[in-house]
Parts: sequence; C-alpha cells; structure tokens
Amino acid sequence: MKKFNTIFVVDDDMVYHFIIKKLFSKCNIDVDTKYFFNGLEAIDELRDKVETDNIPDLILLDINMPVYDGWQFLEEFKKIKQKLTKEITVYLVSSSNDVTDLNKSKEYQDEVKKYYYKPMTQEDFETIFA
Amino acid sequence: MKTNSIINDFFLVEKVNFFEQMLNQIPDLIFQLTISPNDEFNITYLNKNILSYFELNKFELKSNPIDVISNKVHPEDRDAFFTSLNYSKQNLEPWRCEFRIITKNKKISWFKVDANVTSDIDKNTIFFSTLTDITDIKEREIKVQESETRYQFALEASKKGIWDYNLTTGNVFFSKESLDILYLDEFDDINTNSKWDERIHPNDLKDYLDSIQSHKDRKTPYFENTKRVLAKDGSYKWVLSRGKIIERDENGNPVRIIGTHSDVTHNKEKENELLDHLDIIIEQNNRLLNFAHIVSHNLRSHTGNFKMLLNILDESNDKESKEECLSYLKTTSNALSETIDHLKELVDIHNTIIHKKEDLNLNVYLNQTLEVLSKEIKDNKVKIVNKIGEKDTIKFNPAYLESLFLNFTTNAIKYSHPERHPEISYSSSVEKGKLVLVIEDNGLGINLAKHGEKLFGMYKTFHKNENARGIGLFITKNQIESMGGSIEVESKVNVGTTFKINFNEEI
Repeated sequence: MKKFNTIFVVDDDMVYHFIIKKLFSKCNIDVDTKYFFNGLEAIDELRDKVETDNIPDLILLDINMPVYDGWQFLEEFKKIKQKLTKEITVYLVSSSNDVTDLNKSKEYQDEVKKYYYKPMTQEDFETIFA
Repeated sequence: MKTNSIINDFFLVEKVNFFEQMLNQIPDLIFQLTISPNDEFNITYLNKNILSYFELNKFELKSNPIDVISNKVHPEDRDAFFTSLNYSKQNLEPWRCEFRIITKNKKISWFKVDANVTSDIDKNTIFFSTLTDITDIKEREIKVQESETRYQFALEASKKGIWDYNLTTGNVFFSKESLDILYLDEFDDINTNSKWDERIHPNDLKDYLDSIQSHKDRKTPYFENTKRVLAKDGSYKWVLSRGKIIERDENGNPVRIIGTHSDVTHNKEKENELLDHLDIIIEQNNRLLNFAHIVSHNLRSHTGNFKMLLNILDESNDKESKEECLSYLKTTSNALSETIDHLKELVDIHNTIIHKKEDLNLNVYLNQTLEVLSKEIKDNKVKIVNKIGEKDTIKFNPAYLESLFLNFTTNAIKYSHPERHPEISYSSSVEKGKLVLVIEDNGLGINLAKHGEKLFGMYKTFHKNENARGIGLFITKNQIESMGGSIEVESKVNVGTTFKINFNEEI
C-alpha cells in the first residue's frame, strides 16, 4: 500500500511546479497531484471538500506566497482540521533558511510534520514516498 | 550720728571684707582695669582666680599691664582686642570681646570679656570686668561651623539642593541650590509642597507621587524619583529627588522628610540622545535583517531552481523536454535579474548621498502624475478629488515623490471595487506643525488584521490580481522613510483604503 495517494502542492513558483512534476516521473511515483499558486486557493479547495473523502493525504506547502502565505494557510487549516475525514500530513517546503521561519514552524508542530529546504531532491522524494 | 557712723564704718569694713572674700571665692575671673587720661593702664583689682588661672608670676605682676596683656593675647586677636577696648573707652559703652589667650604651656584658650565702663572725676576710665573661659563652647562652635562649611561646599560642588518637608504644615524649605535649578530665588513664592507639585510635568506626576507613597508605606528604605519640573523661564528641568522620612508621629505617620535635589537635565538629554541613536541602530539592524530575509527567500529560491533545472536538463533525452527545461531556465534567469534589480534599488534608497532633497510643490507633482495616468483614469472612469493646498511644499527627492503619487494612484485603480467607479481623494493638512498627505480610495480595501504585518513587505500581494507584483508599497515605504517620513494605513474590506504620509518636517 502506498503511503500517499493524493497530494497538494502549494507554491507560487511555476518553475517549482515543473520541477516537482519531473521528480515524480523520475522516481516513478504515481500519485494524484493538484497544484495551487497560493494558500488561499488551497484552503478554499480544502474547505469545499472538508467532509468528503476527496481530500489529500499530503500537502507540500511553501511559506512565501502572495494573498495567503504558508502561515495564513496553516492558521485556517488549524480551524478545519477537526472536521477532516482523514489525517493530512503537511510538509513545509521553503527556500528560506531564515531562523525566524524555522522557529515559527515550531509553533505549528501539531500541523507541520517536517521542514524541507528547497530545492527538493530525488533523495527527499524517496524518503517521503518510500 | 557718730555712733551710727561707727556702726556704719564697722559694717563697711565688714562688707568690704565680705565682698573681698566673695570675689575671691566665686569661680569667675574678675578684674578692674583703669585707664588714665594719658592712656596709662592700671589693673586696680584682680581676684585670686586670675592669678592662678593665668599663672602670673611676680615679674609679670610688676610689669606694665599692657605688655602682659599683649603678650598673652593671641597675635591674631590683638588688634580686635584693643580696638574694642578703645571703642568702649571712648563711648563708655560695655566692652565685649572674644579672644584667644596663649597659656604658659603654649596652649590656646578662648575667653570672653564682659565689662561695664564708667569714668571718674579725674577722667580715668574704669572697666569692671569678668572673664569667662569659653574654650569648650568655642571649639564646639568651630567644629559645627567647619562641618557646615564642608557640607555646604560639598552641596555646592555637587550642585545638590536640600529640601526639608514638614508634612504637618505642608511647608517645605528649599535651599538656594534647589531653587537655583529652577532659576528661582527666595523671593519666589514656593515654600509649600503643593506649589512644588504644581510645577511637576503632568506626565511625571503619578510616578513621583507613587514613589513618595511607597516610602511613606515603608515599602522602600528611601524615596528616589526623576521627573521634569517647570523652571522660571518656562522650560522643564530634569530633577532627581532623593528623600527619607526622619520623623514619624506616635501613629507612625510621617511628620518630616528631608532630601536632596540634583539637576540631571544634562544626563537626561544625553540619555535621550543615546536612545535616539539606539533607535537608529535598531532600525538599521532591522533593515539588515529584512535584507537577509529577502535574500534568503527570494535569491535562494532562484538558485535552487537553477540547480534542479540543470539536473533535469542533463537527464533529458528528447528535444521537447530539453526545450521545456530551457524555457524554465530563462524564466528563472529573468526573475533572478529582476530580484537583483529590486535589491539594488533598495540599497540605493538608503544611500542618502545619492538622493538629495529639494523643495517640491505637492500639487505640481500630483498633476504630473495624473497627466501620465490620464488614459488609465479615463478608461476606468476614475473620479479624482484634489484638496491639496496650492502652496504646500515639502523637502523631498523628486523621483521619490513622483513614484509615491504614481504608486498610490495606480494601486487605487488596480484594486478598485468592481461595483463602483473608483474615486481617489488627495488632501493635505498640518498635524503638530508638520505636513501630512492623505490619499484615500473607495476600492477593495485590505484586511489589516490579516495582512497588516506584511502590507509593506517585499513581494507581498493580497488580492487575486494578476498584475500584483508586491514591490510598489515596499519601495515607496522605504523611500518615504529614507526621507525621514513615515506612513500609516487605515483600511476596511469593501470600503476603501486611506494612506497617510507624515513628512515629519517642520513647516
């Protein structure tokens, strides 16, 4: 059985979207992936499907994004978490090696499972999806 | 009569003996000095005590009294001694004088002479004198005087004033040094506690009263407080007060507090200067942190993309996927150049040497901007309301003022409300002697509770607008701050946004 079947990629950088797609095909990972350009788009989608089975198992979340950034997404995510039909794993994926961001991510330790630095590598993918 | 006379004579003799004996018995030193019209001195009486007290020898007793006296009286007091004696002689007024005597074993004793003066028919002047040894009193007096002088000197040198507050009457004694701090003198009516309290700066009064109360309640061993006090010239001086209750009544209520005042205005001014410098340093440090943050977020993401894209390119076999990769490399390269340009711009803004201030008329610059944007204004049916004073002029960098008007105006149009025509209003006012520019729109508004923190951040956008790049407000804010100004924002979602620019320049 696969660890993750449905994945949300939330990042405003379309180059990153392209890289992720390439990594999936290279590692032969067959998952259902949805791409969002900011936190608001992603949380809107989650809210729509909150009580259905049609929600992701994993969210790869960027921090620095327009409209709703990663933190704002997590604030909203906190509020709807209880209503979800299954547990969603959230990984923060950011180019920021800023200590303030790393410390802030600890405030969301109930929501965020791990912090990955960009660029994500093939090894990262293998650990996540193995 | 004769009998009487005999009896009288007898009594007289008895009386003389009696007085003689008495005079010899009493501990005081008594003598009679007679000065003849030709200034000859004669000691016409001495009681025995004097002989023993001054250990007068036979030789001295036979010598000229002036010489003996001169010899005994301390050289520094001799002039005063004889001047006062002469004065009494001439005016027949009581002779009083304090002087030092050098005793046989070279010790110094203080004496006070007290004499009544009369003259007889031969024009002799007669002094009926008592001498009192006042050495003990004098030494104590000197000690007190010395310590007072020392204290006074210490107070003057330290510029400390003294106050003495009687809580029963409410009266306060302020020393000259205390009054000097506020340029007051003893003729200025400030001798009660309430008159002093009236002079304390309203913002400092509570702390001051709290501090005294804590001491009254025995929570502090003494009271200490620094506050601004109104001086006679209308300025405020920073005064440090220290005090201690030195007396309480039987119920434990304080009766008297004594303390000091010091003028710490200079120290306070230095302290404030330091705080100002600290603010500047904190601001610069924040700017550096912010810069590091931008680098961390915006440059690293591009370099990461480069690395990954090159990996993918290496492993791509077909032409199509190679071209796809190259096109993404191009996108990344453009984004990186843009970010670097923005960072360069940011660094330049804070390099004040490059950007000189000039006197600029707000109306002229607003009209220029509206001219540049005339097509957008017409196409979007924007209503412009200009209430800026005709002659309102500021010292600002011309390019920054242009970009300020351009940014706020294009933003207001870009984020206008879909259900109404945009309206932008520009006005100016004076707040606390400084010019303020207000730009108000009726657009989408921003949820400040949610986005307030990042409103002026780099690459932050809040609306689902494709043209949003999130650089305008960030640059504008930095430009305003580099000119010494500040910016405030008020906004309500679906109502509109008001930006207030404080030029922070006295007019």
